[in-house]
Amino acid sequence: MNERPNILFINTDQHSWDAISAYGNPYLSTPNIDELHRNGTSFRRSFCTDPVCAAARSSWATGLYTSETGVPFNGGYLHPEIPDLGQLLNANGYKAFHCGKWHVPGRNVRESFQTLYYGKRDIGAGGAAYYDSASTHAVADFLTNYDGDEPFYLQIGYVDPHDVCEYLHNHEEKRIPNPVEQGIVSEDALPPLPENFDYDERETVLHRVCRRVDDALIHAAILKGIRDWDELHWRYLRWNYYRFIEKVDAEIGRVLALLRETSLHHNTLIIFSADHGEACGSHQMFQKFTLYEESVRVPFIVACLGEDISVQKDRFDEAHFVSGVDLFSTVCDYAAVDTPEGLQGMSVRSLAEGRDVPWRDCAYIESNYWGRAIVTEEYKYVTEYRPKAVEDFSPPGPDAEQLGLSQLFNRHDDPGETKNLAENTDYNEVLNACRDQLFAQEARLHRQEIVHPSPKRVISNWGERLRAYWEHGR
Amino acid sequence: MNDSNSLHWSFDYNYGAQNPQFAQELIRTLREYDTETDARDTQKGQAATHVYDILPNYWRGYSRDGVKEKLSIGTVTIERNKDGDSLWNYFVQYENTTSGENLEIKFRCDDENYRPLKGNWSVDARNSGEDKYTRLACEGYLASDSEVRLRINGTEIIAGTVASFDKLTCNWALFDVIPRFAQTIKASSDGIDIDLLEDLEQLRPKSRLGFLASIQTPIPLEGYYLYGVGLLPSYWWLDTYGNIAIASTFFETLVLREKIGNRV
Repeated sequence: MNERPNILFINTDQHSWDAISAYGNPYLSTPNIDELHRNGTSFRRSFCTDPVCAAARSSWATGLYTSETGVPFNGGYLHPEIPDLGQLLNANGYKAFHCGKWHVPGRNVRESFQTLYYGKRDIGAGGAAYYDSASTHAVADFLTNYDGDEPFYLQIGYVDPHDVCEYLHNHEEKRIPNPVEQGIVSEDALPPLPENFDYDERETVLHRVCRRVDDALIHAAILKGIRDWDELHWRYLRWNYYRFIEKVDAEIGRVLALLRETSLHHNTLIIFSADHGEACGSHQMFQKFTLYEESVRVPFIVACLGEDISVQKDRFDEAHFVSGVDLFSTVCDYAAVDTPEGLQGMSVRSLAEGRDVPWRDCAYIESNYWGRAIVTEEYKYVTEYRPKAVEDFSPPGPDAEQLGLSQLFNRHDDPGETKNLAENTDYNEVLNACRDQLFAQEARLHRQEIVHPSPKRVISNWGERLRAYWEHGR
Repeated sequence: MNDSNSLHWSFDYNYGAQNPQFAQELIRTLREYDTETDARDTQKGQAATHVYDILPNYWRGYSRDGVKEKLSIGTVTIERNKDGDSLWNYFVQYENTTSGENLEIKFRCDDENYRPLKGNWSVDARNSGEDKYTRLACEGYLASDSEVRLRINGTEIIAGTVASFDKLTCNWALFDVIPRFAQTIKASSDGIDIDLLEDLEQLRPKSRLGFLASIQTPIPLEGYYLYGVGLLPSYWWLDTYGNIAIASTFFETLVLREKIGNRV
């Protein structure tokens, strides 16, 4: 490759790592993402930085973890002095374009990127049914007309399968009968319940208060609406989720087909990933916001439809822990642009080219401001910080005294994360080792105090509820 | 359906910011369109047009600015003209203030129950936002080898292949396909298969049309469902005169507002 490549970052929203037919999932058909896999390397140990849209996207934009960006949840606000990928690329010989969903509060996408389509109303969380097709139209117009002298970076933010959230919201106030009884879908057509539908109730307080209790901090109305779901309702949720993915796969297909028919595909690197996953019935949970695998593990494919860019094709990388923070470094590496100081991510370019390089030995994930996880070769360690007695807007950690409850899962014996080993004294050593890894990672972060009033309010309100739970069990 | 004010679950989005406006607009609109001409068939050279209001299904009702005077977020106009004895020319205009994208779709179909696509078609998409790359002109045609081809700004791609073009139609022709097949579908326990080219761009082969239910309120209607690979279930409600009065997809509910011309 002689010239700097064009770079196309295609992202879906709420797309779990295994919801791709090329990865062996028999319940959906994704021929176009499959094509990306055949033309690239799929990183199977890929994790988001934080399982919620705005937070994860703030990491894509900055190469930092969410306790650094100022966006530790959807109501966050990106620290204004942190540079983003669009600014950096535009200043270094690229034309940076954005199309579709952005959702990084505190940063005006139009000031950092040239936008192709961003909706007449700015796109918030849902709305794939309207926005994804319009995004593809704009990208098609772009790909068939781009005549700039500079290489381009284009990120396409598709909203689906996030519309599964709207499917869930519909259950808040509406009784939707069982589709099998209605004769719409045969029971045979529905995917089975996930093997980890039943779960170990020894979860962190943060998880219970955010997602399990009747007045849960996040989407309690959905929780109430689905309390009496039977098995078929859960299976129908899964069936619907896979249809949403097929919809967005078809959008991606048109982009790939156009790219292939233009001269651009030879020298265009394609990165495909998702901001976070979807529980889809695992652990009797829905949506994201949790540190379970289905919520935090996402696809990450580096591909090229042509031959000008060196990428190992039709290959799974099962060994390396890839994170959402790596997007920034990877794009900069391919674009030959120096990265800012203090970046947390690593470029996967060498790995995609099939070269082994020193790499991290675990994935680090944050959630709901106080939640933390470490994923190692053999274990998943999930823990939480207890909110301090006095309000403190500096993201927590590393702080052994503030640690709350923990969950520990053996990833080999229990991939569904159904047996919490944290209280088993046989695993004290493992638990301590994971804790050390957590603190070591956190010591490398450049956390800043949250100063914007909007996220401060969230931290205050959530902190109050969590403290009440810790103090009174309620 | 417990009382005359409740809606069937398949098109009941009368809650959240949309309560009670959704039900009010849907029922008022349904009761206004004229069915006087539905007993007569459209003749050669004549046109028939259905105009639908688009009601949002989205639970918050897109009502960020508070209560709206009107919930409808746009209009769909489906105009067909009978060209000769065996061909229909369709012209569909879809205007949506939420996406900010307007579509103009032109296609032709054989005058058969499946309304199979014939010849070339065009899609003109205009994004009314402020961003660059706001217009897409797409043309399509059926190639001889079962391929569906699209030409976008001069670049040609294959949208997909189907076993046969006999059952390949556009979702906007379903407004005529379902009335034609209503009795067949109702009599079948499994419904019928149909190949769809959604918005004349996305191929959805082997989609399934089936019978759902009959209801008496807000007006007598018979419901049909449609789903397939990459196609979330949608629900189509046929009135006693052979018009699709309500079409509710995952995100929007189309309600028949105006009917011009004879039976299609």
